[in-house]
Parts: sequence; C-alpha cells; structure tokens
Amino acid sequence: MADTSHGTGGLTFDKSKRSWPNELNVALALIIIIVIFEVLGQVLPYMNGQSFLFDTKDRFDGPLGLFNVARLQIIILQVAIIGIIALGVTQVIITAGIDLSSGPLVAATAMIAMSFGQTELVNGNPNPKALFGPWAMDLPVLVPIVIGLTFGAFIGAVNGTFIAYFRIPPFIATLGMFLICRGIALWWSGGNPVSFPTESYKALGAGMMPVVWFLSLAVVFHIVLRHTVYGKHTYAIGSNEEAARMSGINVRRHKVMVYMIASMLAAFAGIILSSKASTAQAGMGEFYELFAIAMAVIGGISLTGGRGSIIGTVLGAMVLGFIRSGFTYIKLDGSYQLMAMGGIIIAAVILDQYRQRNRA
Amino acid sequence: MKKILFTAGLTALMTTGAMAQEIGATFSRFDDNWLTVLRNGMVEYAATIDGLSYQQEDATDDLAKQIDQVKNFVASGVDAIIVNIVDTSAGAAITEAAGSTPLVFVNREPDNVDVLPDTQAFVASNEIESGTLSAFEICKNLRAAGKAGGATGYLMNGQLSNQAAVQRSKDVYDVIGMDMCNFMTIIDEQTANWSRDEAQDLMTNWMSSGEPFDFVLANNDEMAIGAIQAMKAAGMDMADVQVGGVDASQDALLAMAAGDYDVTVFQDSVGQGTGSIDTALRLIAGEKVDKKVYIPFVLVTPDNMGDFLDAN
Repeated sequence: MADTSHGTGGLTFDKSKRSWPNELNVALALIIIIVIFEVLGQVLPYMNGQSFLFDTKDRFDGPLGLFNVARLQIIILQVAIIGIIALGVTQVIITAGIDLSSGPLVAATAMIAMSFGQTELVNGNPNPKALFGPWAMDLPVLVPIVIGLTFGAFIGAVNGTFIAYFRIPPFIATLGMFLICRGIALWWSGGNPVSFPTESYKALGAGMMPVVWFLSLAVVFHIVLRHTVYGKHTYAIGSNEEAARMSGINVRRHKVMVYMIASMLAAFAGIILSSKASTAQAGMGEFYELFAIAMAVIGGISLTGGRGSIIGTVLGAMVLGFIRSGFTYIKLDGSYQLMAMGGIIIAAVILDQYRQRNRA
Repeated sequence: MKKILFTAGLTALMTTGAMAQEIGATFSRFDDNWLTVLRNGMVEYAATIDGLSYQQEDATDDLAKQIDQVKNFVASGVDAIIVNIVDTSAGAAITEAAGSTPLVFVNREPDNVDVLPDTQAFVASNEIESGTLSAFEICKNLRAAGKAGGATGYLMNGQLSNQAAVQRSKDVYDVIGMDMCNFMTIIDEQTANWSRDEAQDLMTNWMSSGEPFDFVLANNDEMAIGAIQAMKAAGMDMADVQVGGVDASQDALLAMAAGDYDVTVFQDSVGQGTGSIDTALRLIAGEKVDKKVYIPFVLVTPDNMGDFLDAN
C-alpha cells in the first residue's frame, strides 16, 4: 500500500509516507553545511583557526560551554520570525496551495499593531512618531496583539474565501493580497515609521523571545498536523481534493481555515518583528514570503500538496540560518549568501524528486 | 458695470489659469523613511505656492516604471518633472524620456549629471561629505578616548546597488586612509540593506565571533540603531563603542540623547525639497540655473543635536 498511496490521499492517510525519513536528509544536509564552514574556518588564512560552532576561545560555560553559544543563538534567532510564517505556509502548501501575501502582511500588521502599542513619553519627551492621540498610547499589550491577529485572520479569511469559494488560483489570489497588504502598510501612516513601543510590547520580541515563540508554535502545529482531524483533513485535501470532498470533508471551509491560520501566523510574526526592532516600517518583511516558502521547500515539502511536515520546515529554517551565519563567519558578503541559498533550494528539490522517482 | 466687473473677474481667472503650473514628481520608493520626510516636505511647500499643482508617484524601486511615469507626465503636459531616480546609472534614460520638459533630479545623483541639457538640473547634498563627516568624527572620538594606538570595527553597508551606499562606504575607507586615522581597521563589512532588523541580526552575528571592537560605522541611522540594539541586548556598554551613521532621524536623535549613539550627519530634507521645487519653477520660467545645486550636510553630535530634534 505504501507505494500506491501516492496521489490517492483521501481519509485513508498512509502513515508510511510520514515515516520516510525525509527530515533525516535535511538534518544530514545541515551537518554537511556545518562541516564545510568548520573546514573553511581552518583553511582560510584570515580566519586564524577560529571555529564556526565550537568555543575555541573559552568564552562560554554551562552545559553548552563546548559551543559558541552566541553563534548558536543568532543562527536560530535570525530565522525565527520568518520561521513563524513558514509554519503557516507549510500548512497551506500541504493543501496544494501557496501564500504569497505573508511578507507584506507582516509589514501591514506591524504598522497596525504598533500604532496601538506606542508609548506616550520617550526619555521624557513626547513620542515623535505617535500616530494617534493620547487615547492610543500606553494601552495594555493585549490590545495591539488582538488587533494584529484579528487583522491577520481577516486577510486570511479573504484569501481563503476567494480561493475556496470563487475558485481563484491561490497564486493569483495571494498575489493580489500581496499588493493590497503592501498598499495598506504604506497607506496606514503615509509611509512614516511607527516607533517607540511600550515596555511590554518590546518584551514580546526581546532577546530570544522570537525563538521561544517559533519553537513553541512549531511544537503546537506539529501535534495539530499529526494528531488531529484538522491535520488529517489538511493532508487529505492536498493529496486528492476530489477524494477528500467525496469522503465528506468540507473542503471549502477547511481551506478558509488553513489560510486564516497561515495569515494569523504571519500577522503574529509581524507583531514580533516590530517588537524586536522597536519600530514598524512599511518596507519591512520584504521577500519574507519567499524565504518562508524556501524553508518549507528545503524541508522537503511537495508543492503539489499532500506531503511535508513541520519538522522538515524547522530544519529548512535552520539550513538558511546556518548559511547566513556561516557566510558572515567567513566574512563573505551578502551577494554570495544569496547565490548559495538559491543553489541549496534548487538542490533540495532535485534531491527530493530523485528520491520520489526511486520510490515509485 | 456689472458686465465689466464680470469680464474683469473672468480675465483674472483666466490669467491665473494660464499661470497655474503643474509639477509631477516620481520617487524611487514611498516606504523609505528619509524620502518620506522629503516627500511630505515637498507637498507642504508646494501647497504654499499659489497656482502650483503638485502630484507625486511611487516608482517602487522599478526603473522601467519610473521612465514610464516620466513619459506619462510629459504626455499629460506638466510644466516640470522632479525625479528621485531609482537607479543612479540610468540618468540618460530619464533625461531622454523628459524631452524638452524641464526636469530636476533630486537627492540621488544621476550618472549623466555633468552633461545635463539646459532644461535639467540636480539638487542634493554632496554624498562625499556625509560618510566623510561621520567617519572622521568617529576617528577623532577614538583618538580622544586614547585608542590612537589601534582600533578595530565594523562597517555596515546600505543596499549594494545604491550609489549613496557605495559612496558612503568609500568615504569611510578614504578617512581611514588618512595619516591621522590610519590606526582604524575594518574587521569586516556587510550589507544590512538600510534596515534596522537586518542590522540587528548582522551585528549579533559579528559579535558571536567574540572579537573585540571599538567602533561601528553604518551607512544610515536605521542600521546604526539596529547595531546599538543588538550590542545593548548583548550587554555591551555603549560608552566603550563609537557608533556613527548618517541621516539624523528622530529615532537616531533620541538614541543620541540616551547616550547610545555618538555621531550622525544631518541631510537637509527640507532644503532639498524646497530647493528642487524652486529650481523646477525657475526652469519653467526659463531662467538659467546651476546644473548642480548642493544643500550642505551638517555633522550632528550630542553637543548640537538639540538644533535638529524638529528638523527631519
């Protein structure tokens, strides 16, 4: 049955599909990347034998004292926010959809949420970037969170409705929303940044908080996808939408729900990003939607739906994190990083297709 | 009598109508902080001039779109066009698209600035000043802090395709090349794309190597602020590190007031905005104008920052 399960999804979801250790391949790729950077660190003359991941200068103590803890932290910190988006994009892609609107949605939500999370006084001066009057200043942190998530849910509902009920291809519907959200982000404050949040708003994304959010949400959605009806239906729709419908799944309603969850995760990423940077700017989140999709793709997701996992996406995020820190570590600039990331995305898909063919 | 008055009124109206001037402007992007200050200043200034109608468009960093916008302005018969060019190496294409309609390049220097026709001009600050002022002040501060024996630091670049970013980074190397400042060494330079959140991550990446450093020079304030946030999050004392940037934005001045930020450079958005509209009006009137109108940069340190709090 394992072989015939491909393309015949439905409710009879085949567990062997998941047990295929695709995630192990990504983990292996991670190790190879780490080894390459460690070797480069030893070989390149200007590196003075500095290590990529190990604490060669005896700077860190504690259980992880063997490692360069600061670097381990930034590796995951710098992909955590896009990673939160990728958790939602993963679910959308499993249903054989796509979400291009998440990057601009990050910016729009950041602007909207931050304008209800501003503080009235900055070092004793009135907030120079205050968007609204005193009524919107120093509100409890729950207010901007609820407003931001509600906005995300609304955008997701619109995406999902157009895709599920009006049969607009997901690429087109979310491309339209991509432009609409960028427009909203620019229009909200006329292009001006919204800055200086309250202390409690700042705390949402301070320090390693983005990582805490990312990993806890990853655990939640890993469980949801594996062990709930929602998860089963999501895979079923992606494997064979017609079969899923025939088996009594309300495909339309379920799709709207998936897009709403994805957009709420992107909105939450926007709140965390504006908190981390202590500012919201209309240009934020540029290319985030594409990097989120890239994380899922590197993690072994299939763009034709029905296959993919949260663990894969988290590992995909780690690959991008290791590459970014690795290139900074060997002091090569951003242009090389982009080339390497592009190569890895294509290589991931080629490997995946090769593996699929061998199984069939 | 009534008829005469009416005719007089009509004539007056028509005269005003004939004198009404239209200026169309296109900006490389609407979501850039500093350009937004410039844009808003221009809208305000245009509103104070009688009979001037002023309209602006967003080129969303797309050169082809910007050229079309210029052509559309020409087709709709505006009297002058103001362009904040997307790609500084495409000056000739914009110049050609404008034809005989007066055109003013603002803020970003087109590569054909020396061969502009008589109907065109360039208004901006001289980029060579900005990076130089900032880096040289950091050099002096480091000397004053007794680090003339050797100081190391990092350089954050703006977008690598942007001429101002390239120039500001080159200025840094020019300053370091001077005898007085050659004790400064750049450990590494990377781009953070003008952005605060990218700068936070980049700075944290740099710090993870554990290499000690004395200064951070950034091509703009947003990146400098991102670097400061990252250093503070890592528990560094900002008194030990010299941080320099460019723009003198509100956020930067507040960081300076808090004692975290050392040097920035004020780029006069109001001066550039009013300067470009004035130059456009003079071109419409057929007057002869300077091909390059430079609005000076001003060094901003904790000593004089009070003068700039309401400026940008």
